[in-house]
Amino acid sequence: MNMSKLSFDKTGFLIARILMGGVFVYASYDKILHPRAFAEAVYNYQILPDAMINATALALPWIELIAGACLIAGVWLPGASLVTTLLMASFAGALVFNQIRGLDVHCGCFSTQTTHGEPSGIWTLVRDICFLALCLYLLVRTVFSQNPIQRIKS
Amino acid sequence: MELKPNNLIKAVQETVFIIMVACVLAVCSNFLRNNGIPFMQDWSAKNRLPDESGQNRIISLEGAIRMYEQRDAVFVDARSEHQFNKGHIKDALSLPWHQVDERFMEIADRLENRKAVITYCDGESCSLSHDLAQFLEEMGFENVYVLVNGWTLWRKAGLPTQKEERSNEYE
Repeated sequence: MNMSKLSFDKTGFLIARILMGGVFVYASYDKILHPRAFAEAVYNYQILPDAMINATALALPWIELIAGACLIAGVWLPGASLVTTLLMASFAGALVFNQIRGLDVHCGCFSTQTTHGEPSGIWTLVRDICFLALCLYLLVRTVFSQNPIQRIKS
Repeated sequence: MELKPNNLIKAVQETVFIIMVACVLAVCSNFLRNNGIPFMQDWSAKNRLPDESGQNRIISLEGAIRMYEQRDAVFVDARSEHQFNKGHIKDALSLPWHQVDERFMEIADRLENRKAVITYCDGESCSLSHDLAQFLEEMGFENVYVLVNGWTLWRKAGLPTQKEERSNEYE
């Protein structure tokens, strides 16, 4: 691998993990502060059984926070990449599911203050798919190919 | 590109670890904070929809019919205008929750002379009617009720409905 390609590769990986780390940390903040409002957002998706709604609303933001912080700090990268990929796939899947069955829900993605305004639509889904692609890139780089640090050193 | 089994095992182990740490933090923070929530709760409509004073603002279908027949209440449809035009409770007004700020003034004067306001949308889990009822209370209206799953209940009971090209054709 020549030096310019190596540098591009390294920079791209760094930008992707900082960006996704930032997205997840930012997304977790409001949900951690307002667990009741986030539980309502989870309920509105009408996907989980009632018994799992509060537990999910409590744990999910902390998972987002820790996984995001790991991506930014560069620790437990394979695990953080896998967690964020699974989360983004679940979020995108939930949006698609509700679009197909015609349920207008607010996504509750970054804010729990979702009582006004238009519900999530196709652009929310497009954004989630872009984030999912970035997470998949991170997952491929950390799990399905050489460790990026080893790769850079090689 | 090749899959490194060790990397995959490591990723799964770290995933489990991240989830466990998150769960511990979630439980601890929920115990310590003032606005914690129970780990499980009843999400049925009756428990979800209390008003500011904790009173239940849900009205039964029978109660709604009685008010409808006596013309004591005005019905307000919280669904989209498109859904409203496809069919709604006869004489109901349309105030789509997603456009409530822009369209409230269109119908405000027609809510004032009634003893009660009954909001509805469609589906047991639909919260638009609850949000709308709360908004109307904040706007100063009294005796605001929610008919949960209103459109489906009303239609299935064979009660008067209408379709229209334009919304808010009231009286």
